[in-house]
Amino acid sequence: MPHQEALTIIAPVAEEREPELAEVMRALAANPAQNDVLAFGALPGCHFGRVLHLPASTDLSGQKIGPQLMLLSDCDGSAEVHLRQLVAVAGDGLDRLFGSCVDYPRQPSPENRLAFLQKRVQPVKAVYVHRQGRGVEQIRREAELRKALVTWLAEQRFQGLSAIAIRAQIIAHVRASGPLRWALEPAEGIDAGYRLRNALDALALPLGLAALGPVVVPAALLLLLLIRLQEQTDSMQSGRPAPELVRTLTELEDFAAHNGFTAGGYVKPGWVRRAAVSSLLPLIGWGSRHLFTRDSLAGVKSIHFARWVPMDNGRRVVFCSNYDGSLESYNNDFIDLVAWGLNLIFSNGLGYPSTRWLVFGGARYEQEFKNFLRRHQFPTPVWYSAYPHLSARNIERNAGLRTGLQGHMTEQKAQAWLSLL
Amino acid sequence: MAIAAIDTFARLARKVDSLMRGLPVQTPAVEAEDVQGLVLRGYGNLPYALYPLLRFTGPKSAGPWLKRYLARIARGRPHEAGAQTEAFQIAFTPAGLTALGMNADELHGFSTEFLSGMVGPHRSRFLGDVDESAPEHWRWGGPKTDEVHALLMVFAKTEARLSELQAELRQSYVAHGVSEISVLDTAELSRTEHFGFVDGISQPAIDGYHSTDSHLHKIKPGEFLLGYPNEYGLFTERPLLNGTRDPRGILPLDAQGSPQRDFGRNGTYLVLRQLRQNVPLFRETLDKLTRRADGSSNKEAQAYLAAQMVGRWPSGASLFEAPHADDVSKAHSNEFRYQALDPVGARCPIGSHVRRANPRDALPPHEGTEYSLDVNRHHRLLRRGRVYGNALPEGQVDNADRGLMFVAINGNISRQFEFIQHSWLNDPRFNGLSGQADPIVGASNDNQFAPSPKPVSAYCTGLPRFVTVTGGGYFFMPGIRALRFLSELTP
Repeated sequence: MPHQEALTIIAPVAEEREPELAEVMRALAANPAQNDVLAFGALPGCHFGRVLHLPASTDLSGQKIGPQLMLLSDCDGSAEVHLRQLVAVAGDGLDRLFGSCVDYPRQPSPENRLAFLQKRVQPVKAVYVHRQGRGVEQIRREAELRKALVTWLAEQRFQGLSAIAIRAQIIAHVRASGPLRWALEPAEGIDAGYRLRNALDALALPLGLAALGPVVVPAALLLLLLIRLQEQTDSMQSGRPAPELVRTLTELEDFAAHNGFTAGGYVKPGWVRRAAVSSLLPLIGWGSRHLFTRDSLAGVKSIHFARWVPMDNGRRVVFCSNYDGSLESYNNDFIDLVAWGLNLIFSNGLGYPSTRWLVFGGARYEQEFKNFLRRHQFPTPVWYSAYPHLSARNIERNAGLRTGLQGHMTEQKAQAWLSLL
Repeated sequence: MAIAAIDTFARLARKVDSLMRGLPVQTPAVEAEDVQGLVLRGYGNLPYALYPLLRFTGPKSAGPWLKRYLARIARGRPHEAGAQTEAFQIAFTPAGLTALGMNADELHGFSTEFLSGMVGPHRSRFLGDVDESAPEHWRWGGPKTDEVHALLMVFAKTEARLSELQAELRQSYVAHGVSEISVLDTAELSRTEHFGFVDGISQPAIDGYHSTDSHLHKIKPGEFLLGYPNEYGLFTERPLLNGTRDPRGILPLDAQGSPQRDFGRNGTYLVLRQLRQNVPLFRETLDKLTRRADGSSNKEAQAYLAAQMVGRWPSGASLFEAPHADDVSKAHSNEFRYQALDPVGARCPIGSHVRRANPRDALPPHEGTEYSLDVNRHHRLLRRGRVYGNALPEGQVDNADRGLMFVAINGNISRQFEFIQHSWLNDPRFNGLSGQADPIVGASNDNQFAPSPKPVSAYCTGLPRFVTVTGGGYFFMPGIRALRFLSELTP
């Protein structure tokens, strides 16, 4: 079973060719799964994908940052292999999509397209995966299993039977029906190579801390103190997002079980905040890989994939996620469950609601926080999901349904298992 | 272990947060004299009501008309039950406030949902106002009907008094250039809605006004009134005006201490939706789903399935407390929590209407704990709906228009009404379910419902939509001083 990786490509766009790009983006947005530019639906093992056209911007020192094109996907297995498949699947569609980018090959070939993209791959440290090892195929098949069982159950009469007896009948039905028999095998384990690398990676932080603790801990405390000093004078931008922006964003929301969220902004000026971001992002990445590995990002159970992408030499950070339900409910989860975690990283962003000691306040200022996120959101019309009808909790329950087809259960366990249906 | 530590830290951080912000320890008392009475009570003593939808021709018409009725707008003072024979309440749309002379800058202080209204491609999708419930079919409030400026609510003790008031109002419209777009009628007050269930049982109690010991239902005033701290200990966005706009100092000062005048204080948002209930279809569907093997109807099974779908029995008794049969002694009991004794919905289905509309302690994080309840408190509504149309006697079929004039009062439309409507009632994936919108009010024409597992759920499939929306709007119901300010406003 494959592990999951994140692919991030960022390519500067030639300003005079932006209208051309906008047109391609429109064609792509009409149906991200199937089109002749980049058919995300044809990419094997692609969970989520999005393409963003970031307009030109002026940084805090007045320097101009040109327009950029971002391609992001969450895939089964290595992102390197995924990129090769992407080049093969999209073919000359890539010339249309990336043709307006600076230094795109004049005479494109499969080789130089790949080389162009490889060169623009952005390493991203902070990536969250709802459940490592659960591939697209598994997710889809387990949803089919559920559907088939519910349909079959509607025709059965189990009056008076115990949960154990009903479960036995369900298992017998799965065994007898050819197309479902795969479900009797447990899902494959995650690939050994990944597990080994992951174990070493898990050790790296505690070992590193043990070795460098005498330096790192005082440095971190000093940094926190400096941040606390800056917090006193940091200015918070308040105010409602522009109605046109809200309209553009909402017109793209709430079609599927989940939405794609993209937001970004400038890091507050000065080395203190930059240092905070560059040390916290790897920490968040480590936490996501080793702590938040069981269907929950610090208590939030509605995020399929998320990543924090540092851009423009650390001047900006873009956050992307795929979350269940509406933005309102996502925001509420943030505020109610994980405000401290958001503050940790987002409070380094310019204009964020004021924080204390990096983790307090901030997102807890409900409306200011909701306004801040809306103001910093990028409309993402090109967004793809491989299972638009499934929430993360659906996926978990479907997986639990399959797992429960194996082994012995007490009456109580069997009842709990049946309640998944 | 690390996860548990982080979790503990998260909970601690919430506490520290509250301490650091120096939240008011005591909830301020609600200024009931300045609040329109409907916020604080439902006028059970005034069984007759109608709601005219009005349109002003301009400030010259609107202001003086409002001034004329100002003294008669009912306030929230504790009433002497016998004495009250009538009550007026009034609420406005953004267009109505503009007609009264508020300018665009001042309106900007209202919430985005109120300003953009209930109609729009995203909002309709979000609220489930699609297909036959789409605003283009609405009788009022939609794109094809006249723009509403104000909602007047008239309550009376007798039917005769109501007609008198209606006649008097119509004269006043003529005199002031106010036009009546439509009048929404209600039936004589009844606690039982058309599907046969007692409605409106679970109401929050406003901390600072209602005296209650209910830990479950005592909610901060800011959730239902602007200008007071809400459940986050914060003040909800509201229009604050410069002092120069209010030279006579009619409006209260901003309770947060700014030098501005608070137009929002003691006002709130009122959500009105006309919900048509297809009673014949509801009964026919129940019958179809519960027939015996020989094809005969099974009344008892119908009643049970209906109760499973609602989550309460006709008397109002919760299935959580009376899982097998209706129990009138439990009809008013409302302090129960689901999680500890009914985590999988064996008594009251996870997908039942009342368990979705108010899941109490049944949702993450940490189901069954204070944490879960705390989150639930951010999504409560005061409901002030009334039934309209005639009841359909058992065994009869007709095509009459009947249903509920749904009225909800909340301080934050997005976090309260819209959230409940979208994420709890209409989301087919609510709380881990699959393909199940609310079985009673859900916006799905091919819905599913899983009754309590025994021990596995016997799914009901192909459920039609029983409730359609035929009109709706977001209104702002100002406090009494704000009404006076409006009546004297010159643009």
